[in-house]
Formats: sequence, structure tokens, C-alpha cells
Amino acid sequence: MKKATESRNFIASLDSLEPMRDFVSQKGSEAGLNKKQIYGLCLAVDEISTNIILYGYQSSGITDGVISIKINFENDIFVVILEDKATPFNPLEARTPDENELGLPLEERKIGGLGIMMAKESVDEFRYEFKDGKNLNIFSVKALDN
Amino acid sequence: MSFTVDSKMIDNVARLTLTGALDSSTAIMLQEEVMKIIPQNPRELVMDVEHLDFMASAGLRIIIFAKQKLGTQAKLVLVKPQDQLIETLKMTGLIFSVVIVDKYPE
Repeated sequence: MKKATESRNFIASLDSLEPMRDFVSQKGSEAGLNKKQIYGLCLAVDEISTNIILYGYQSSGITDGVISIKINFENDIFVVILEDKATPFNPLEARTPDENELGLPLEERKIGGLGIMMAKESVDEFRYEFKDGKNLNIFSVKALDN
Repeated sequence: MSFTVDSKMIDNVARLTLTGALDSSTAIMLQEEVMKIIPQNPRELVMDVEHLDFMASAGLRIIIFAKQKLGTQAKLVLVKPQDQLIETLKMTGLIFSVVIVDKYPE
């Protein structure tokens, strides 16, 4: 697969997380991404979608929310775009644990911010845009010559 | 790839076997087991994760919670985590708070 565009809509519910990961895995593997890259994309999609579902939609009382996943593969760059119409939220501006906190023993840890940090660390690039009333969370990885 | 968790207590060691995908829709199942284990004050919590194919932060939060409740003396052991899970443990610093083994008892 040298070039492809795909998109699929999912109901914004925690039950959609597994089908969302399956969709991304399947397309990633068709594009020739390696296991680590596919896992990283699934993790990013899972973490950010969980936030959108629980905090973006459910906490604002929207019960029929949708998350669209768009996939673009061109010039060896595999891009996954999560699109939602929930409350505007830029995860890249959220507070995540710093080096010092990550070094603390578990007994002294505060629980929070881990998911967004994991999403950032799991892909080559993570961007956010708010456009036409939609949150766009954009993850990219570069296909290597595996 | 659904999630399953089996739990047993042997000689004051709590043993959990996890399979499938641990995300925010399935984490509640693990949380329920951990809540049953904590009052029994096990000296070790051993999680067999060889067939755990995916773990999101929801799962990590339960591990952190369990460790906080069980205290510093109780060892938290992960048996045969997959490569991607080890990556996650490194990235979040949890690797320093758990013991990773190939089989249990060693």
C-alpha cells in the first residue's frame, strides 16, 4: 500500500475503543508499519479517545457523540486523525508528569496525566488543531524500510 | 481480543492472570479484583501478563493504586510482560517499582 485514504465513524463510547484500535492496526499493517509503531498508534488513539469520550462528550451530557478516524498514507508518512465535536480541548496543553515525578516511587505518585504523556511518547508526531467546530488530534509515524 | 482476569491467593501471595486488552472499558474488572485482594494484605501481588496484549493508562493507574494500598513492603511482580508493555513501563517510570520475572516462583 503506497498511498491510501480511509475513514470510519465510531460511536463515542468506551465499547468502541477495541474496534477503533483494530481499525488502526489493520490499516497500519497494510501500510507496512512495524509492530511497535502500530502499538504506539493504538495506544495514542486509545488514550485520546478515552478522554474525548469521558470528558469531552459524557461530561457535557452529549450521548450520541461520534469520533471519526481518518487515515492518510502518503510519502511513507502514516497519519491518523481523530475528529470529534465535543468541548474544545487541546491535550498538548494539559499538564503531564515531569521527569522528577516519573522517578518517584509509586507510593508517592499522584495519579493523572499519564495517558496524554503516553500518547505523546508513542508516536513520532502529535499535533492538535481546532477547526470548523471540530477537535483534530493528529498522530503521525514514518514508515521505515522494515 | 477481550479481557479476562483470574485471581487466586496462595500462601499469602495474590496471583492474577491477565489476558487480552486492558483499556478504560475493561479496567473495572481488574479494579474489582484488586479491591478484593487489598484487605487480605498479601505479601506479594503477582500478575501474569504473558498474554496481555494491550495496556492503556487505565491499567497502569490500577497498578499504581494497588501498590499505594499495599505499601512498600509488598512486592509487585509482573511475569513475562510483552515488549510493548515493557516500553510503557519504562516511559512512565513504573519499571522502577515493579519486579519483572520470566516465571514465578523463580
